[in-house]
Amino acid sequence: MTKLNIAIAAIVGGAALAVCGAALAQERTVKITGFGAKSGVVRVFGVNSEAAMKAAAEEINKTGGVTLGDGSKAKFTVEFLDDRCNAEEGISVVRRIASSDAFVAIGPTCSNVAESLFGILQKKVGDASDSGLQFPIIADVAAKGGLAKISEWSFRNVPSELEMYKSLMGWIKTQHPDLKTIYGGVEKDFAHSNATYGVMKAQAEGNGFQVLGTSEWLLNDTTFSTQVRDMKRANADIVAISAHPFTTCGVLKEMDRQGVKPKILIGLTSSSSIETLQGCAKQAEGIIIPTSFAPVTPEAKKAAEQVAKFGGSADLHSAATYEIMFMFKDVIEQQKIMARADTVEADRNKMRQGLAALKETSGLLGKIGRTTDREAIKPFLFVQAKDGSWQVLHKPSS
Amino acid sequence: MNLLDLIDAVQSVADGILFGSTYALLGIGFTLIFGVMHKINLSYAAASIGAAYASLLILTVIKAPAILVFLTAAAAGGIIGYLVYLVGFKFIPLANPLATLMSTIGLLLLIDEIIVHMTAGVPLNYPALFSDVTIHVGPFSLRGDLMFVFALGCICMVVLLLVLYRTRLGLATRAVSQQPTASKLCGISTTRVNVLTFVITGVVGGIAGAMTGAAIGMLSPLLALPLTVKGLIVTVIGGLGSIPGAIIAGLVVGGLENAFQFFRGVSERDLYIMLLLFAFLVFRPGGIFAMPAGRD
Repeated sequence: MTKLNIAIAAIVGGAALAVCGAALAQERTVKITGFGAKSGVVRVFGVNSEAAMKAAAEEINKTGGVTLGDGSKAKFTVEFLDDRCNAEEGISVVRRIASSDAFVAIGPTCSNVAESLFGILQKKVGDASDSGLQFPIIADVAAKGGLAKISEWSFRNVPSELEMYKSLMGWIKTQHPDLKTIYGGVEKDFAHSNATYGVMKAQAEGNGFQVLGTSEWLLNDTTFSTQVRDMKRANADIVAISAHPFTTCGVLKEMDRQGVKPKILIGLTSSSSIETLQGCAKQAEGIIIPTSFAPVTPEAKKAAEQVAKFGGSADLHSAATYEIMFMFKDVIEQQKIMARADTVEADRNKMRQGLAALKETSGLLGKIGRTTDREAIKPFLFVQAKDGSWQVLHKPSS
Repeated sequence: MNLLDLIDAVQSVADGILFGSTYALLGIGFTLIFGVMHKINLSYAAASIGAAYASLLILTVIKAPAILVFLTAAAAGGIIGYLVYLVGFKFIPLANPLATLMSTIGLLLLIDEIIVHMTAGVPLNYPALFSDVTIHVGPFSLRGDLMFVFALGCICMVVLLLVLYRTRLGLATRAVSQQPTASKLCGISTTRVNVLTFVITGVVGGIAGAMTGAAIGMLSPLLALPLTVKGLIVTVIGGLGSIPGAIIAGLVVGGLENAFQFFRGVSERDLYIMLLLFAFLVFRPGGIFAMPAGRD
């Protein structure tokens, strides 16, 4: 090769690098921040939410990303912060997010965090006397009923447990008219379990079942013999357990030991996860749980595979996270969000307005309705533990 | 109270006493370390649960029977015990009691968080021995797996007492416990005795963690903190440093816990256990089997 050829090659190579560099410099990114429990005993929720955010971001980026207000295309990047399922840390994390250029966030995992956190947001938009934080947050996991009502800046994409258990109890009544009585078990010191048990009980009574009694235990209890003995004495047709996987499994194992075999066993929404099957697949056999996610549609199957690729598991909670990312894409494009440091305040307002204006969004199981109090009306189905996996038992909407 | 209630109450207490065997095993570890080093190791229950988790690793390699899993837990407990000594005691000024207390609180949280990060906090199935055995005595039934734990607790107590009172190691341990300065002058290596104490209590802790997992049928990071509290209560009620006291107190706390659960419900249960602890601290601070005071 002559000296001239080397020089030409160097010039062409340099020019090519310069073009690539310019292109890279022009590629914009929009960072979406999620937060939730990534340590402590509910770490799995945070792991799944983060994986779902990354999976959805990758899917959106593959199709070109999101179009910003100035017409440019941007790719989603994801950041996930740990709040340890602790209200104070949740508030601190959100204040940190709000002090950055972020214009929206997804979280938290725990209802107790959401309850406190939504309390620091401005209650009513435009209220000059309210110095609360003006930052839109949409919850993906926190399931306790009615939380989004707390502030006009708070939103949720979680299923309505009231609707789910209303439908489930009604369906059981229709399918098993011979069943008359129900007995409850509740993890008394966990906000979600306790609140949902109230829903289960009210819906059971509303459907004409006689509630024979309730056994109570705590989140980190290790022995359930007394509670299960009460359950055994009641000899109810149906047993409804409102508890998370650890104590649900503890109770189911004790029921197995004491030979308590109700005709129908009902569980808490959050227990329709792989955790329950890892902990007590044999004893959980037959348990029925309403859920807003199961890999039954092509979109849901694809989402489940993508979430697994990022080290998570798709369940009713992480599926909600996945859906929220697509919701963000739509709102950013509709509201012409600029995603620049100098437009943060305007972007936050536009994002809030866009989320509040949504009447319907696309979900993995079908269309999701949005209510005026910023909650979701999600399609759901009933799954049953069978042969070590969750299988669809009934689709109420079909 | 009718006959059925009475039967249920007795059964509840019996179940609690048997489950209390797991508290007793933990209490032995707490009390032994206190007896030798006069230090409270708050990371002990977390290390025990950590050892039980570690024992599950063997199931990823071979389809091991439950007994092999338990033995692995004991071995893992010994190793973790040594590590706890290295991290939480060896380089900490032992003269300052708060320093080791703080370091073991740190270790408790550290071990707990390591478990959470390794398992994402997901509860894991744990094998049990005799879980399908139930002994019926009239209207009452006794769980085979808990009776096994109870028997194992008694065996551990006998073995530890034999080690303490029939071996040179035991003699050295008691000497260090009672007269550390004189022991040093006699040529006993206090460091070696302390290390061995941690390894031995770690082995007992591994067994305790495995038995707790077997009794519940599962392991969860949720267990570490409540078991730490139970272990401490048992140690105080049994008498700091008393192995038979830890066994008796474990069974008493287990039985009373279920009795309070039966009569007063879950929301008041722990209240009475704490009141019991305070009653002991005020009226019998030495516990059920108070150790005689040493010359120091």
